[in-house]
Amino acid sequence: MLTSMLTSITIYLNAMPLDRMRIPGPEDSKPPFVYETPSGVDVSNLVKTNGCRKDGRKADHIRPMFIKCGIISQAQGSVYIEFNNTKVICGVYGPREFGKREDFSMNGRLTCDFKFATFSCKQRRQHQQDAEEKELSQLLLQSLSPAVCLHKFPKAQVDIYVIILENDGSALSAAVTCGSLALADAGIEMYDMVVACSARKYFNSILLDPTAAEEIVPMKTNESVDEGEMTVAYMPSLNQVSGLILKGEMHTQVCAQIMKSCLEGCNLIYPVLQQSLITSIRKSLSNVDLQGSKEL
Amino acid sequence: MTDLLLSEAEKMFIIHGVQDNLRVDGRSCDDYRHIELETDVVSSANGSARLKLSQTDVLVGVKADLTTPPTDNPDVGTLEFFVDCSANAAPTFEGRGGEDLARDISSTLARAYSSDRCSSSMLKALCVVPSEQCWVLYIDILILECGGSLYDAVSIAVKAALSSTKVPVVKVTSSDGGKPELELSDDPYDSLRINVKHAPCNVTLSKIGHSHVVDASLEEEVCSLASLMMAVTEEGTVTMLKKSACGSLHPESIYEMLETGKNVGLNLNKQLTRQLLDEECLHTQMGTNREPKGFL
Repeated sequence: MLTSMLTSITIYLNAMPLDRMRIPGPEDSKPPFVYETPSGVDVSNLVKTNGCRKDGRKADHIRPMFIKCGIISQAQGSVYIEFNNTKVICGVYGPREFGKREDFSMNGRLTCDFKFATFSCKQRRQHQQDAEEKELSQLLLQSLSPAVCLHKFPKAQVDIYVIILENDGSALSAAVTCGSLALADAGIEMYDMVVACSARKYFNSILLDPTAAEEIVPMKTNESVDEGEMTVAYMPSLNQVSGLILKGEMHTQVCAQIMKSCLEGCNLIYPVLQQSLITSIRKSLSNVDLQGSKEL
Repeated sequence: MTDLLLSEAEKMFIIHGVQDNLRVDGRSCDDYRHIELETDVVSSANGSARLKLSQTDVLVGVKADLTTPPTDNPDVGTLEFFVDCSANAAPTFEGRGGEDLARDISSTLARAYSSDRCSSSMLKALCVVPSEQCWVLYIDILILECGGSLYDAVSIAVKAALSSTKVPVVKVTSSDGGKPELELSDDPYDSLRINVKHAPCNVTLSKIGHSHVVDASLEEEVCSLASLMMAVTEEGTVTMLKKSACGSLHPESIYEMLETGKNVGLNLNKQLTRQLLDEECLHTQMGTNREPKGFL
C-alpha cells in the first residue's frame, strides 16, 4: 500500500512541469535583474574620455580570440572559438543521407541549429529553442549557405550545430565564424569562408565587436536616432556580403558607415581563421605520419 | 512559397528587361504594383485592414486585451505578431508547412517595430497602470494569396490596421487600500488611437542581374538570388535591415540598394499616410452607413 502510494507520488512529481530543484519565491516577486540598472542605461561611460572602452580596447579593436579545430572526435568537423568571454562550440555532421520522406533534390541541404546553453546568459535559458534562437538559426543558415557548394553533394544534408557556452556579446557573429570554420574543418567544399563581425553605433563612435554590456538594449537606451547594432557576415576573398542584420534605428548613411567598419573587422579576423585551419591540418597530417611510421 | 518553374529563356527575358529598366508588366525598377487597401473590414476586431497587391492578398486583424506588462518594461504595452499562412494560399503551407515562413515574417515585423522611438510613441500610450495592467495588441496576419513581395504587403497592411485600431478607454479608479479598479468608458466611440507616425514600412529590394527591383513579382523572385529587406520610417530612417534568400551581395550594391530603398520607402510611407487620412475622413463622414467593400 505504502509503496504504491509512494510510486504514485513520484510519478505525480515527475509529471509536474515545475523545476523542483529551484526555490520558488513569493507569487508577486520579481527577479533581481529588473531592479539593477541595465548596462544599456549607463550609456555615459561606455567610452571613456581617453577613447578606451571598459575593457581597455579602442573603439575599432576586436577582442583577443582563441580558436581550436577538431575538438569533437565524433563530428566531421568541429571548432571551439573564444572571444574573451563569448565562448562558442560548433559541430558539423555530414554530408549524410537525408530522411526517406524528403523529396529528391539535386542540391545538398544545409541545416543550422543555434542554441544558447541554459546557463550562458544572465537569465536562465530554456532547454527548448525559443523564438530568438529560432530566428538566429535562420540567420545563421542564410549567412552560411551562399558559401557552401551545395551542388557537390546531391540528396545529402549537412547539419551544423552551434551552442553558445557563454554569451558576452556578439553571439551571432561568433556563431557564424565558428560555423564556417567548422564546415571547412569538415572538408565541405566552399567558395570561401564566412567571417562575421558586429558593431554598435554609440553616439559618434562605432564600437567593433561589442560585449554584452555594450550591446543595445531595446527600450532602455535613450530615444535617439542613429543608435543601433549591426552584424555582417562577409566572404573576404569573394568580396560578398552573405548576411546582414540590424537592430535599432538609423539613417542609411550611418548604416553604410557601420557596415564598412564591420567589413574591416571581418578582414581582421579572416587571417586568424586561415592560420588556425592550417595549424589543424598540419597537426592531423603529422598524426597520420606518426601512425604510418608506427605501422611500418 | 509556391514553386514556380521558369525556363532559362524566360529568366533571361526578365533579367534583360530589368537591365533596361522595363519589367514584364511594364513597370520600372522602382515601381510598386497597384495597391488596394481597405481598413475596418472585420467588425469583430479592434482594427483591421485588407491589402491586395496585385496577386498578393493579406488580411490583418488587431485585437486588444489587458495583461500584466513585462517585468523589465513595466510602463509600456506590447505588440504580439502572429502570422497564419493558410493552405489556401499555397498547398505547401498545409499542416506545418508554412511555419518557417510565418515565423520569419513575424520576427521580421517584431524587429522592425522594436526601435526605441517606435515603441515609445506607440506602446507608452498602451500602459494602463504601470507594472499592473497594460494593453497587448494581438496582430494576426492571415495570408490569403502569395503573389510576390509578401513582406512588403504584410508590413503595409499592419501599419494600416494599427492606424485604424480603436482601443477602449479605461479609467483607473483607485479604491482605497486595495488594487486599482478599472472602469470601461460607457461611450463606445470613446477610444484610444494608436500613433503610427514612427511605424515603418517594409521595402524589399531583389537583386536581379546587375540591377535591383522593388516589389518583385513571383516570376522575378525566382530570378533573384539575393534580396535586401529594409523597414523604412516616415523620416527615412531604417529600423530593420536584413539580407534574405540564399545568395550574397556585393557591398557596393548594398550601399546602392540602401539609397533606393530609402527613397522608395519615403514615398510609400507618404502615400500610405495620405490614403489612411482619406479613409479616416470617409469613415467619419459616412459613419455607420459606410458599406465595406471587403471581398465583393
